[in-house]
Amino acid sequence: MSIKSGYFKKHLHVDLTNGSAECRELPDTFIEKYIGGRGFGAKLVWDSLKEHDFKIDPLSPENLLVVAPGPLTGVYLPSSGKNSFAAISPATGLYGDSSMGGGFGVELRQTGIDVLSITGRAPELSLLFIDNGETTILPMPELRGKSCLEAEGIVKEKLGTHAVHVATIGVAGENMVKFACVNADWSRNAGRTGIGAVMGSKNLKAIAVRGHNDLPVYDVSGLVAESDKAYKYMEKHKFFRMWQQQGLMNVIDYANATGILPAYNFKDSVFARNDEVNGATMLDYYKIGDSACFSCSMCCGNICLVKNGRYTGTVIEGPEYETCAMLGPNLGIGDFAAILAASRLCDELGIDTISTGNIVGAVIEGYEKGVLSLSDLDGREITWGDEDAIMELIRKIGHRQGIGDILADGSRRIIEKWPEMDKLILQVKGLEQSAYDSRAGISMGLAYATSDIGAHHTRAWTIAKEMEEGQNWSDEEKVDIVIYHQKVRPLFDMLGVCRLPWIELGLSEWHYEKFYKYVTGKEASLEQLLELSNDVYDLTRLISTRLGISRKDDSLPYKVWANPPLTGPNAGKVINRDDFQRLLSLYYKKRGWDEDGIPPAGIEQKFED
Amino acid sequence: MKRLTVIPEQCSGCKMCELVCAIKHFGVNNAKKAAIRVMITYPHPVVRMPIVCSQCKVPMCAQVCPVDALRRVDGVMQLDKENCTSCYQCVEACPFGAIYVHEDCDLPIICDMCGGDPECVKKCPKGALRLIPEAALGESRRLNNVLSYTQMKQIEFYEKGERKIIHYAETGKEEL
Repeated sequence: MSIKSGYFKKHLHVDLTNGSAECRELPDTFIEKYIGGRGFGAKLVWDSLKEHDFKIDPLSPENLLVVAPGPLTGVYLPSSGKNSFAAISPATGLYGDSSMGGGFGVELRQTGIDVLSITGRAPELSLLFIDNGETTILPMPELRGKSCLEAEGIVKEKLGTHAVHVATIGVAGENMVKFACVNADWSRNAGRTGIGAVMGSKNLKAIAVRGHNDLPVYDVSGLVAESDKAYKYMEKHKFFRMWQQQGLMNVIDYANATGILPAYNFKDSVFARNDEVNGATMLDYYKIGDSACFSCSMCCGNICLVKNGRYTGTVIEGPEYETCAMLGPNLGIGDFAAILAASRLCDELGIDTISTGNIVGAVIEGYEKGVLSLSDLDGREITWGDEDAIMELIRKIGHRQGIGDILADGSRRIIEKWPEMDKLILQVKGLEQSAYDSRAGISMGLAYATSDIGAHHTRAWTIAKEMEEGQNWSDEEKVDIVIYHQKVRPLFDMLGVCRLPWIELGLSEWHYEKFYKYVTGKEASLEQLLELSNDVYDLTRLISTRLGISRKDDSLPYKVWANPPLTGPNAGKVINRDDFQRLLSLYYKKRGWDEDGIPPAGIEQKFED
Repeated sequence: MKRLTVIPEQCSGCKMCELVCAIKHFGVNNAKKAAIRVMITYPHPVVRMPIVCSQCKVPMCAQVCPVDALRRVDGVMQLDKENCTSCYQCVEACPFGAIYVHEDCDLPIICDMCGGDPECVKKCPKGALRLIPEAALGESRRLNNVLSYTQMKQIEFYEKGERKIIHYAETGKEEL
């Protein structure tokens, strides 16, 4: 049975160099095979790589930026406000994508397109405005140097309406900081893999969208009935209220208790001042409101205000767990107000808080250990918890001043400049690690090592499960759960929905098979959808291997092998290299890749059309 | 007589109210076709406020209607679809901007209270939209206003010898 609805079948391609916009038809085979979101991203990036003979500099005009919601984005089902940004990542040089919540993707779909791709380089700093199918490129040099939030305000003023959704980059994006992010709806970020730098390299400061088309849905009443069931299930879940109140901040207490919280650049995995930075503190002293993505009942976003002290008046949407952990405990900061201020600073500059937290943490430890000299730091000392020095360093990264100019090029460049930093900085393939300590569970290590975009938990997050019930797991079970996650989690990114209802509230993944059926009119079992998701994983692996990645790169940061956490439940634990290599071999075998991690030769044909 | 009221402090801005309204009245997944819209301002001030018809007792929309197409039926403003000329004067006249226009629809979009059982109230996951007796209007604002002047965040009490704490932030969540 073929696809009957769910898509506009339109692909908008914009070339910023000559200012042209072209609306292409999407063939049925394309939408059936790649579904949407990250699937479209991977396929279009693959095609453009083939066109350029696999030689694309991430910051060149040729790098294709893909903005893709999915077929389920914006329709009535739990947390349907997601949207993927994909390109060749400046951080890793490989395929990179990052997804964003909020309402930008919904509005983009309502303009009547399924996917937007952008290439070229505008002669001047510009705004791309898609107004219900009509595309204009407006030069807006006045946006130079403006923060993400300021830029959003200026764009809305220029367009004379508040009813647009705007994705912007900050100063960091303009300066092509390799972990710059894209910010939309004031504080929703596509944070990872440096998509903001790709926009900056194209002289594209902002994308504004406004649309009012009906989203195509095959069977509305079927969808509503199924979604009502799903919403009801979520509402009855014992943790639902807690999620509404604390959002992802509840993970701080959990991570601290189980010993996976990064503290002092992953030297430790518990934090003594946990009580001052956890969700309860946020609720009692800082939180002033909730924020949710489109059509989401969980509203995991928090809005916080600092009411007294030196950061008085700081408003921020967030923080969530990663931001709080990476900018707080990981840098030795135990003052929640300072974390909020640092987070706001990152939002304004438009840099990824996870990468920033890792890099600043590594710099502090590097200085402590004598790897970095005072002159490397431009004469400004920095220690754990030194808020002023940390803020200054973050600012320097965004503006590429002094040492910030090197740090802004990401961990690869840092290691090239100071080879000893390799032992201190936690990164895989050039992407800095998320805030879950993999030394507590080897499956999480395998997940980081084999994630297609680098050390991020978006592809597989197995640590909680392994700690809870995986003490006696066999190798096979560990590999299986990583592969299963790497099928399911990217599927959510392809469908254009959030995975939190599934991973956190246990909303069954079988619902999504029905959602897909009601929206597209095509019957596909969950297994078939997972198979498609798996194909996209093969495709991103193919991209990586064609760009030179092999087994040697599927590794873990030095600390994971050599430096155990000092205290806490996982004190003394490291990942054994032999254990890891054994798991990796098994992982390749199960995926059908060879011993070196290369997918089989004939697989390219699969992605021809 | 019950009124549809908004508690902006509870609103998360998820826009489910818009979506369910559009699905109920037009059968489409298009939040722009709803008779309710969530306005969001950030960061100064931070407000999430659903805008929906207040069922004013002195309806400005009806006063400006040149063909008398807006009338109160059983306490709810109803649009006479036959006679409406789509001049949209009501849209401009509403002090709250609670009447909407969509280019696919000829008629202005105005809340009809779903015949007394509003879909948005049923589906709001945060209890930010409520159907309450007229006399109870303003209750939540009064409470919030008073709380904003106090330093107390919680009350302590003993139940069967066990110490318990209720945060004021949680008291709004019970059914009214």
